[in-house]
Amino acid sequence: MDIVIVGSGKVGFSLAEQLVKEEHNVTVVDNNEEALRRAGDQLDIMTVRGNGVSASALREAGVSRAGLLVAATNSDEVNMVCCLTAKDLGAKHTIARIRNPEYTSTIAELRRSLKIDMAINPENSTAVEISRLLRFPAAANIETFCRGRVELMGFRLQEGDFLVDSPLYALPDRVKKLSLLFCAVDRGGEVSIPNGSFVPKAGDKLYMVGRPDSLDQFFRQLGRYAPKVKQAFLVGGGKISMYLAAILDRMGIRLKIIEQSEERCRLISEKFPRVTVICGDGTDSELLESENLAASDAFVALTDRDEDNLIISLYAMQQGLSKVITKCNRENYAGIVRSLGLDSVISPKFVTASNIVHVVRGLQNSQGSVMNSLHRIAGGGAEAMEFTVGPGTRHLGVPLKDLKLRPGVLLAVIVRGNDIIIPEGSSFLQETDRVIIIARGGGVLDLNDIYASEFTAGGAMK
Amino acid sequence: MNIKLVLKLVGRVLLLEAAALAIPLTVALLYREDPLPFLLAIAIVAAVGAALSALPAKSQFFTREGFTAVALIWIFTGLVGALPFLFSGWFATPMDAIFESCSGFTTTGSTILTDIEALPKGILFWRAFTHWLGGMGVLVLATAILPKLGIRSHYLTQAETPGPVFSKLVPKQSQTSKILYEMYFALTSAEVVCLKLAGMPLYDALIHSFSTAGTGGFSNRNASVGAYDSVAVDVIITVFMLLFSINFAVYFLILTKKWREALASDELRFFLSVVAGATAVLTLTNLGVYGHLGTSLRYAAFQVASIISTTGFGTADFVLWPQFSQLIIILLMFCGASAGSTGGGMKCSRVLLLLRGIRREVHHITHPRSVKVVKLDGKLVSEGTLHSLLVFVGAYMATIFTAALIVSLDGQSFAVSFSAALTCVSNVGPGLEAIGPSGNFAAFSGLTKGVLSLCMIVGRLEIFPILVLFSPSTWKR
Repeated sequence: MDIVIVGSGKVGFSLAEQLVKEEHNVTVVDNNEEALRRAGDQLDIMTVRGNGVSASALREAGVSRAGLLVAATNSDEVNMVCCLTAKDLGAKHTIARIRNPEYTSTIAELRRSLKIDMAINPENSTAVEISRLLRFPAAANIETFCRGRVELMGFRLQEGDFLVDSPLYALPDRVKKLSLLFCAVDRGGEVSIPNGSFVPKAGDKLYMVGRPDSLDQFFRQLGRYAPKVKQAFLVGGGKISMYLAAILDRMGIRLKIIEQSEERCRLISEKFPRVTVICGDGTDSELLESENLAASDAFVALTDRDEDNLIISLYAMQQGLSKVITKCNRENYAGIVRSLGLDSVISPKFVTASNIVHVVRGLQNSQGSVMNSLHRIAGGGAEAMEFTVGPGTRHLGVPLKDLKLRPGVLLAVIVRGNDIIIPEGSSFLQETDRVIIIARGGGVLDLNDIYASEFTAGGAMK
Repeated sequence: MNIKLVLKLVGRVLLLEAAALAIPLTVALLYREDPLPFLLAIAIVAAVGAALSALPAKSQFFTREGFTAVALIWIFTGLVGALPFLFSGWFATPMDAIFESCSGFTTTGSTILTDIEALPKGILFWRAFTHWLGGMGVLVLATAILPKLGIRSHYLTQAETPGPVFSKLVPKQSQTSKILYEMYFALTSAEVVCLKLAGMPLYDALIHSFSTAGTGGFSNRNASVGAYDSVAVDVIITVFMLLFSINFAVYFLILTKKWREALASDELRFFLSVVAGATAVLTLTNLGVYGHLGTSLRYAAFQVASIISTTGFGTADFVLWPQFSQLIIILLMFCGASAGSTGGGMKCSRVLLLLRGIRREVHHITHPRSVKVVKLDGKLVSEGTLHSLLVFVGAYMATIFTAALIVSLDGQSFAVSFSAALTCVSNVGPGLEAIGPSGNFAAFSGLTKGVLSLCMIVGRLEIFPILVLFSPSTWKR
């Protein structure tokens, strides 16, 4: 695909690097000649010097033929205008990096009026990534949708689990009322999509999709929630900490945040009254000790300096904390860091770039409606896709019980505004909904592909 | 210095050249000539290539490795091209064969042969075909058909593509190389068809098309293009010489229907004005030689196109022209073709930027606190680019004068020594006096031929790769 990246900063470069590896034709636009030369020297890309908001620079970069434009400059406003201009010039899809929290509350409206297909917030993505690591320290395959609001994860059933040998429709009410759905099962390499009468057996690998806190609840009921993080220790009170605090607070994890700036401390305390905010130098071991670091279950180093983060993480590890997460922007040194024993190292630019790469993979499969992302699950036996419902989607407003879906296709979740809906017979689709589709054996490239063939011809059957 | 990887790359390119040698071999077989020179060459090149490309190497590849690889590949290529010449027995010494091969691949077109027409057709075909390969570049070809070199291949093509700034046509280097060769092939084919229609035999049409395309200048006739004495042939070759000295990016813009951008190119306009101006001046100053305005125009236009494109074909002996005309020819040799074309010389864009830099300097002296930027195609040219441009021009001059100094050891006149160095560094072909369009380089000593061969490669690669290769700091750990 022809992809234009505006901004050759940390995220832009990292993204270009990953996209080139996937054989895309990448053109990078930036004002800074030095940054461009560095990118052009190291990667097989084309570089165009110019301002991302100027139509001439975008045209020179071939935006009119581009399948995707990613605006990743360090100014949210430039990114928004850039996406708007690019759409006018003919770019098929646009992604903007928008990081100012002030915009986050109105992001849906902004996206609609600026025709941005996806807004990505590096700090928020990083916070989501960290929270996933904290929630399931041992979990391997968790996929997220709708920017972390929906998650999909797999777990293996063991002898004695209450699900075993009982059909899904007979599950206890406490499970049924959770916002989650069993969407795929892998039994000895055979992948299928379970219905109500499916009877799980020990050794099955079950995949479920739903709200993150519902998934937590479920694991709690299953008795698999240990070792649970009850108290987390955050050093650094920047944007990532704020987003992370919001997520962890909702999950009921007690938090201690150490931040140097008193102003920031006040702000955090104002937003999260339950969080213990400590104003001080997080790299001071005495302060950490006096705040009883060792009593926490998890430690997250989020200061602005990679070096500080590494040092205090090593200290925390030495104090016997089981889960230590380190923010480190320089991924080149990941190897050294791992050899020191720190295995949870998060690089915001890498997280952001990977998120966008996921979207690109999805776009390659999409034609009409916007496929936001695609994940292969169950060893490639099924695909989980996120679509945005567009005006071209058929059967809008028709209750699902009146529709027939293709065999092997499951409409797993509907995200409408801030609501996460596990579809029932009376549920229906409407424009701007996001939906998560699970499909076995591929073939779903467009949202309209989910309907059974007799429905593809036209009107709903009543 | 990751010398193993560099040698491995050399090996890959040698394999490619072994394959390319199959084409003149076919020609030799078609004309029932002795195929042995080519078979021997293919065997040697393929064996060395296979051995080198089997080297185990780490993948570290940076600018230093890129420049060294380009320099080594070109030196090896010059030697490889000499093998068929050497085995054919038509060349007195190995140095003569190397000179002819370097002259071929670098698209210079200087020759040490006195009677070209006596040589077998296969050998003459290979001689012209080296022009075609060297014109767009062997490394551009390598990146086009061996896309999985597994390295940052733009380091290679960047050093091989002439011009002050390197830009790709499309994001992927391999794709860019492919597009370049497609356009190159299409233009070459067009010329073959035109020449055939103008009455040239197919074999001669191919030879002259390869020569024009690479802006080389080897002909299979002793009197070069003048031997045909046909206005149609003159016009066709003049037009194509000019076409091949235009930046290929301009053609890509036209192909993608960006006419306005294509025609707005400052370099294109400058190039065309220089051609028009020089032709007009030469037509008038040579009026005394030819007497007729039309005839004078015909020879002036062909010679101007031939020299500025750095091809070096001749239909008239400019050595017999007035001194003023000869000096214009010398100036055109300095100027050369456009960046991103197959031509040599300093390149029009550099000359243009140099003139603009001079204008700015004068402005700066009269208004010491003034701030003025230099632009090309409406875009800002960075101070860094201007700086390296000045260094380039300095290095270019230094190379020419150093080479002229060594050539003068042969005891030739100043005009011969200097024009020999200039014509080789600028990849033109003919010089003044004894090495003019009807002369040749046979009389030079072995040392001079060696130095001039190196000069051709230095000029083709725009100096710095060879300097990097011979710089001690490249080889330090």
